[in-house]
Amino acid sequence: MENCRENNCVIDITGISKIYRLGKIQVVALRGVDLKIMPGEFIAIMGPSGSGKSTLMNILGCLDIPDSGKYLLENTDVSKLNDNQLAEIRNKKVGFVFQTFNLLSRSNSAQNVELPLIYSKRSFIKNRKKMIIDSLDSVGLTGWEKHRPSELSGGQRQRVAIARALVNDPSIILADEPTGNLDSVTGEEIMAIFQKLNREGKTILIVTHELDIARHTNRVIYLRDGLIFREEKIDSPLNAVEMLKSMPRLEDRIKG
Amino acid sequence: MKRFWESVKIAFQSLAANKLRAFLTMLGIIIGVGAVVAMMSIGYGAQESVISSVQDIGSNLIIVVPGNREEQQQGFERMLGEDKDKEALKVEDAAMIEKDAVYIKGAAPAILNSSIVSYLNKNNRSSVYASNEKAEDIYNFDIDTGKFYSSSDVKNASNVAVIGQTVINKIFGKIDPLGKIIKIDGKNFTVIGTIKPKGTDQFGNDQDNAVSIPITTAQRKLYGIDYINMIIAQSTTEEDMGRASEEVEKILRKAHNLRANESNDFTVQNQTQLLDILGTITNIFTITISSIAGIALLVGGIGIMNIMLVSVTERTREIGIRKAVGAKNKDILFQFLTESVVLSITGGIAGIAFAVIVSLVLNRFTILTTSISAFPIILALTFSTVVGLFFGIYPAMRAARLNPIEALRYE
Repeated sequence: MENCRENNCVIDITGISKIYRLGKIQVVALRGVDLKIMPGEFIAIMGPSGSGKSTLMNILGCLDIPDSGKYLLENTDVSKLNDNQLAEIRNKKVGFVFQTFNLLSRSNSAQNVELPLIYSKRSFIKNRKKMIIDSLDSVGLTGWEKHRPSELSGGQRQRVAIARALVNDPSIILADEPTGNLDSVTGEEIMAIFQKLNREGKTILIVTHELDIARHTNRVIYLRDGLIFREEKIDSPLNAVEMLKSMPRLEDRIKG
Repeated sequence: MKRFWESVKIAFQSLAANKLRAFLTMLGIIIGVGAVVAMMSIGYGAQESVISSVQDIGSNLIIVVPGNREEQQQGFERMLGEDKDKEALKVEDAAMIEKDAVYIKGAAPAILNSSIVSYLNKNNRSSVYASNEKAEDIYNFDIDTGKFYSSSDVKNASNVAVIGQTVINKIFGKIDPLGKIIKIDGKNFTVIGTIKPKGTDQFGNDQDNAVSIPITTAQRKLYGIDYINMIIAQSTTEEDMGRASEEVEKILRKAHNLRANESNDFTVQNQTQLLDILGTITNIFTITISSIAGIALLVGGIGIMNIMLVSVTERTREIGIRKAVGAKNKDILFQFLTESVVLSITGGIAGIAFAVIVSLVLNRFTILTTSISAFPIILALTFSTVVGLFFGIYPAMRAARLNPIEALRYE
């Protein structure tokens, strides 16, 4: 897995560092991180707060650029791009899922999922509707197109967010604490969706501080003080669908 | 183009989320645009009715009055007392103009005065138009009953009069005035005709409170003078007005034996000049109103800017989300700019609708005549678009420049 063959990586970063300057104080967030991600991988990044998880995530998601180092996203060097070029990469190649869902509250599910398509050059009016429906279908929200976030449960909101991340068929899905705001059962449901998408061939990277969540993936990367200090390969990841069977179902919980 | 309509749709959606706020923000624009369009429609209406009442007097008229108006504007002679050229115009001048001028259809001498007109024990103050038989055409005195005085009446200085409808109502009531004897300034006149109603002019003057008598009678028997107040001449066509004016001037200079270095002892004015003066007055009115409206639009624009800045802050997270999924700076800029322009144009349209209603109501229920034309509407729309763009650009730029990471973290 570590031997990234030529022209085959989704992500290939070498010596990525990032320093924040807050007035006179310098905060070193990343000090030379190397990471290669192959297509179809499901990876978790773990680490205490201040370890540089979020900074790494922002750089991988092209929201930020590194101070030094090289970042190849599908063999394109994105470490030196300008704002507009980064926006285009985010639109085409990255799907974001956030801890707080970050849906537009005034827009319904379909409109939220449509958002990346609005800013995309390659979306044609004919298949736009189908793309939205397909995306919602794949997260199990068939028939919820017209509902606004306020009419949805937390788990459903996160699924809309995942559908939004999927709609443009990105190279990688980046999820920042996707289960952080959800109870354990709903969190497990979200992990089940990620595992299903991964089986379908999606490359997924999640940031989490819960080991239980991380053990659903194939590879866990431990980050500390801006460096990768340990990597662990999970040979038999937890199966979220099986886990759910052993957990009390939502209806059971309501009945008490 | 599709993206443009999408932005307009999004703009309407986000404005609809705060309806009262959007309305209050638009109020400045609504009032500004409403005021300018309403005022301009009143201005245009006034102009049109003044023009039509000037033309009611008769068309293609050239008016000659004694004295040099341009010199009098310096004011000394007037301040010192009598006009030296007061008696410059004579009946013969009018006759000469009519005889010699090629571009003049007819010319009538006139003395205008205001006198007490009475029948038996009833009396009334009326305008007295003393002229000759040509006045019937030139002044648009349309005869209702009886006849207008003839050239022989003028030649013989007959004591005859034609009277307007108000005069009839005031001193005759239901009695048929034809053939009756009336007194004008104590002298007896026989009524030989009545004039069809003409209504009031723009300034509310009753044009029917009028009496017309032969000019010779007025000179010899009423006022004891040998000069006249004015000459009213009619040019052959509207296009010949200028040439006719020049011709009149040339003829009168010759008749008055003026040498080349002497200035005119009379002034020639034509209707076009009168209308020009009226136009100037309306323009001043329009400019005043426009500057007031400009200030209202400025204030409205500042309101828009204020609310857009608030909106950018409130929607920082939305901006972050949009940027995270691939919105470029210019997409965000365009979105917020569209919103402020939609605000100001909607305000502009509402203002126009308001002004149209106001001017229709004024037209229907007051004596004001209003006229809605395309120009102020186009002007108002252009201005409100410009206001939206101008005051929207700064908030939109602030939104566009937001850092996506910080925007996403914003609580």
